[in-house]
Amino acid sequence: MLSMLEEVVLLAVDEKNGGLRSTREFGTAYALVGAVFFDLALARKIDTDTESIQIIDTKPTGDATLDRVLAHMASRSDLKTVREWLEEIFQQRDDLEGEALQSLISQGILRHEKSKLLWIIDVERFPLVDNKPQQYVKVRLANAVLSDDIPLTRDIMLVSIAEPCGLLGYVLSEAAMATRRHRIQLLCNMETISRKVTDAILGLETSMRQAMTRVV
Amino acid sequence: MIQLTEETRAGWCIVGVRGRVDAESADELEAALRAAIGANGKVAANFAGVDYVSSAGLRAVIQAARAAQGKSVEFTICSMNAHVKKVFDMSGLHQILHIQGELPC
Repeated sequence: MLSMLEEVVLLAVDEKNGGLRSTREFGTAYALVGAVFFDLALARKIDTDTESIQIIDTKPTGDATLDRVLAHMASRSDLKTVREWLEEIFQQRDDLEGEALQSLISQGILRHEKSKLLWIIDVERFPLVDNKPQQYVKVRLANAVLSDDIPLTRDIMLVSIAEPCGLLGYVLSEAAMATRRHRIQLLCNMETISRKVTDAILGLETSMRQAMTRVV
Repeated sequence: MIQLTEETRAGWCIVGVRGRVDAESADELEAALRAAIGANGKVAANFAGVDYVSSAGLRAVIQAARAAQGKSVEFTICSMNAHVKKVFDMSGLHQILHIQGELPC
């Protein structure tokens, strides 16, 4: 089974050309951090309430990325809130994406291609070698949104991470998303981690708009 | 730590829950609720004795409710204190779970 982090990164891979899609680049990075927190929560290493994160078990999981983040969290007892931890682990966003891509490559799901654009600019692509895992993630996302049944925990987490960073739009049409807006909001609101990811992305977008306004 | 009890009253299986519902106790709670759901047509989780619920606790309740939905079992959560109810309300769970102020019987 793929980790939440791997599923989110896989969802961001364009199935046609292997490009990494991120409509809101930093938003996706926050979503990656949220996915790691969900992986740690599913592994019963951390728990959350309405504001804070509690570390409940520091024993390694066997997953290098999760264990690095968990060890970092265990070393910083001064940080308590989900928001503080989002900002802290956000600094490691490139590692998170790179390690998830590497894992997906080593599992035979993606391959790595490097090329030059106009003989100058390096372009990296990650074409699908096996498209079934990505299809599986997409089907689960679509079912969780389009059905009125109570979803599995993992699928609630997946929707609540895919939506705020704009990845849900690659799975569902705009019309379907508009029709199911209430359901999407319901699923996104269930988890403290995803509520804080959404807050962080909105805060970032507001800051960027204000900065652009000042420049203009 | 949680304490769990079970009794049958007027056709309802009442699962009494007391203590903190968090990552340490979530699996135990979910297993107890699933067992009750597997053996009864109507199950009420009595949360009167619950003084704290974390995200792991909420997930356990949601997955028990999912199991009840799959088996067409009537499932309700009752008698939460104001603090615990606020946590459920913040997560919007009142929209997908059947939550009552008092036990159904």
